[in-house]
Amino acid sequence: MFYEMGESPSLIGRIERLFIAVVLGLMTVITFANVIARYVFNSNVLWAVEATVYLFAWLVLIGAAHCVAITAHLGVDAAVNLLGKRAKSIAALLAVAACLAYTILLLIGSWNYWYPFVTDLSFLTTEDVPMMPGFGWLAFMNGGEPYEKLPRFIPYFVLPLSMVLLTIRWTISAIEILKGKRTSIIASHEVVEELEDRDAHVEGTANTAKETTNG
Amino acid sequence: MVIALLVLGAPVGVSIGLSSIVFLLIYSNGSLTSVANTLFDAFHGHYTLLAIPFFILAAAFMSTGGVAQRIIRFAVACVGHLPGGLAIAGVFACMLFAALSGSSPATVVAVGSIVIAGMTQVGYPKEFGAGVVCNAGTLGILLPPSIVMVVYAATVDVSVGRMFLAGVIPGLIAGGMLMVAIYAYARWKKLARGEWAGWREIGKSGADAFWGLMLVVVVLGGIWGGVFTPTEAAAMAAVYAFVVANFIYRDMGPLKAPSAHGKPAMIKERAEHSDTLAMSGGAAVLGGPNLGGGTAAPVADDPDRPISLLRRPQALFTAWFHKDTQEVLYDAGKITITLMFIIANALILKHVLTEEQLPQHITQAMLAWGLGPLMFLVVVNLILLIGGQFMEPSGLIVIVAPLVFPIAMQLGIDPIHLGIIMVVNMEIGMITPPVGLNLFVTSGVANMSMLAVVKAALPWLGVLVIFLIMVTYIPILSTWLPTMMMGPETVIR
Amino acid sequence: ACNVSSNDNAESSGTAGGDEVAANDGCDPGEQVIKFSHVTNTDKHPKGIAASLLQERINTEMDGRMCMEVYPNSMLYDDDKVLEAMLLGDVQMAAPSLSKFENYTTKLRIFNFPFLFDNIDAVDRFQASSAGQSLLNSMEDKGLQGLSFWHSGMKQLSADRPLIEPTDARGLKFRVENSDVLVAVFDQLGANPQKMSFSEVYGALQTGVVDGQENSWSNIYGQKFFEVQDGITNTDHGVLDYMVVTSTRWWEGLDENDRNDLARVLAEVSTERNQAVNQLEEEARQAVADAGTEIRELTPEQRQAWVDALRPVWKRFTPDVGADTVKAAQAANQG
Ligand code: NA
Ligand code: NA
Repeated sequence: MFYEMGESPSLIGRIERLFIAVVLGLMTVITFANVIARYVFNSNVLWAVEATVYLFAWLVLIGAAHCVAITAHLGVDAAVNLLGKRAKSIAALLAVAACLAYTILLLIGSWNYWYPFVTDLSFLTTEDVPMMPGFGWLAFMNGGEPYEKLPRFIPYFVLPLSMVLLTIRWTISAIEILKGKRTSIIASHEVVEELEDRDAHVEGTANTAKETTNG
Repeated sequence: MVIALLVLGAPVGVSIGLSSIVFLLIYSNGSLTSVANTLFDAFHGHYTLLAIPFFILAAAFMSTGGVAQRIIRFAVACVGHLPGGLAIAGVFACMLFAALSGSSPATVVAVGSIVIAGMTQVGYPKEFGAGVVCNAGTLGILLPPSIVMVVYAATVDVSVGRMFLAGVIPGLIAGGMLMVAIYAYARWKKLARGEWAGWREIGKSGADAFWGLMLVVVVLGGIWGGVFTPTEAAAMAAVYAFVVANFIYRDMGPLKAPSAHGKPAMIKERAEHSDTLAMSGGAAVLGGPNLGGGTAAPVADDPDRPISLLRRPQALFTAWFHKDTQEVLYDAGKITITLMFIIANALILKHVLTEEQLPQHITQAMLAWGLGPLMFLVVVNLILLIGGQFMEPSGLIVIVAPLVFPIAMQLGIDPIHLGIIMVVNMEIGMITPPVGLNLFVTSGVANMSMLAVVKAALPWLGVLVIFLIMVTYIPILSTWLPTMMMGPETVIR
Repeated sequence: ACNVSSNDNAESSGTAGGDEVAANDGCDPGEQVIKFSHVTNTDKHPKGIAASLLQERINTEMDGRMCMEVYPNSMLYDDDKVLEAMLLGDVQMAAPSLSKFENYTTKLRIFNFPFLFDNIDAVDRFQASSAGQSLLNSMEDKGLQGLSFWHSGMKQLSADRPLIEPTDARGLKFRVENSDVLVAVFDQLGANPQKMSFSEVYGALQTGVVDGQENSWSNIYGQKFFEVQDGITNTDHGVLDYMVVTSTRWWEGLDENDRNDLARVLAEVSTERNQAVNQLEEEARQAVADAGTEIRELTPEQRQAWVDALRPVWKRFTPDVGADTVKAAQAANQG
């Protein structure tokens, strides 16, 4: 959470960053537009509330996988930091194992949850979000009848998708720990070293906000 | 099990989530499918939680966009000349920034990064500055807007607007108590004081901070003026902060001063500010190159001045996609993700507990003990204080609130009052080890070890504990303002 | 007292939660467990009362065979999620508002036709008719089995100014439930329908984010909407009703004996509680009046003006429900 360090600007990393920025931007703009529509034009964007909520789910669930990659998830490292290097790696491996167990259990649940929506329950649509242009061909999912509103299996797809991504990310973490490339899967609280570290290769952006704004 | 996983260094969200799932599989006939359903419902079924990303985004725009520096300059001008003036100004600045941001660590970062360095340079012990800001920063969740209040309101279904109002008076009192304590300490220790810079400087710095401070008016005025709901207000705040940062202060985005491009703007300015702060004894102009003259006519091609919108009108369009905007969106998104990942998993735990009917059993047990309201509140405080040692506030609220809320209602405790008690407990949790977000952040901005920050924050923690007792047993502190503004509670008892 | 249900029109959810501390008795092994999830309190709202009564009767009369657990206050699922959870087998019974079934059938839109039923007795007669009973089976192909109708009451209209003529609503913002018919109703009036999270409605009415709403008396009283409105107009313009549903698969998998007994108990509970609704509504209406809120009655001519203004909505949605059904519903007005 606090400082990102040595993040590799890989293509996937850049796509994920852009995804996060765009989704949060969209959420803000849609909500803003709804207020303007209601207050200034005495009109409405009936799908605004529902669409924003779905974007929120996509932001957090997909973003959770990205946060594994940049070691941004919050945790408690006070105890682990008392350990020696080797013990620390073992603890980290156990922690990753727990994460994998969590993700795989949820992957099963997510798949069981999502699967009916592409099969038996494919007729279920969202309440307000209109069908996106370009998806007309999905009508075959609805017994040939075109969807008026976005079918639910599209927003819900984020569940299995994010769990697959998380599984991949945790596996990569496990490999990195085994190779000795990293010792922890949570954001470190020993910020001091990292501050120095960051000063060594500062990025050119205005940056205080980077630190943290949550709580 | 949660604690075992936490100790191993697993993420908080996973620790809670995995424990819930295992509990569910062992003790109940609930399915993995229902867990997935609940995970998605954390977003789909909790519209009001949307305020969280928006408030985080607003705070990010304000920190990056120079609002914080202007507020500090104003605070120093107002109270910098008192004994311990810079520290009092730090508290004052924290209160002002708290009124703009929904989060405590954000407040510490925005104010602390400038003030602590400045205090060290005028000769205060560094621990003093760090301890004061670490404590005062907790006001970020007590003064509205507040992310923790949003979470509480969403969890037990009370009005967010009411909660916001309820935080105002306790927030002012807590800030006041901290200031008085600092004043007394400074007289006792004979700490340096700044020079009185005159009303002119107050006026000037106030005018410069005006657009930032107007955010309070926009948010609260918009809510009570019927323009938008509290959730929407958060999105409006984000858009407003974006506009102020890009088009008025121009500390970021396409109109930023050319000299600031390609440099780590904040770090550079931070150093300069602390220099000026030190030289002038704290009260003088806190002006880096971009400050003070923000609205003056730009001199042609002065690389230190922001660019006029007239000279670059396309900025109206490009600002939305500018690299700085993207960066801020990404940073705010990242914080949202880590926080919501915990909250979503806490909601899974809540679902599992509900399925096992645990809240009802606990309620019955507690009532069977014959706890009165006074003792009950002591128990609540203890649970929260202990929980706050290990958990991040929002996640803790999601788990504890459904357990204690029904009992509180049975005992006739006001739900808004209960909410404020919880928030104050969370404040204390944030500055106590091992998990204390403010501690982590302070150690970062003050460049001190965690242990040193803990020691530094400890004396001032006492003030907050006294304050907690006051808030717990004087309900009217919390309930008076919302009742005044919004009429009596709509809760059906 | 937990979830913020996002589109729930009328339930006194949430804050009322404090009153429910009665834990479900543990079910014995061998008993068929029925999880009933709803979104109101257990002892004040018509639906909550009915669910509690059903629970009590099943757990005594069918002891050893069936065991009902009630999860009130959206503790487990809100009305948007509960039907999904039912189809996925995680909950067995629920009673969502009829507007929640839009995805499963358009036939139930009949209940949102404006000014279709004169009063709740007409609704009763229609639901008892063969046309009404067949609606219970209208979602079989989607896996849902309707078992019974439960009433909340007739809907009344309110805003931050008096509503007498249909034109009075023009330009006002109304918070509406998720239903194409209801959106069309307010569009037809020249008003501005708004979607809004239910937990935000009271605050939005108070500050003026929205101007008005429509609801049954017990909800207007229970949610205290009357405090922040300029009087209530007694329009009886629509009906707020619930359908007790279960999943077809679960229902058909039951032992025949159990299923028949369960259906009988449910039918008796429904009749008893639906008859009591008139009185609950009257009490709520009286309580609103006692609080000093003005209740405006419409003359027959004034009411007819509303009916005429909204007739185009019937026309638009008749193909969805079938002309026969509309006829049967109108016929129910002649007792
Ligand atoms: Na705040
Ligand atoms: Na703590």
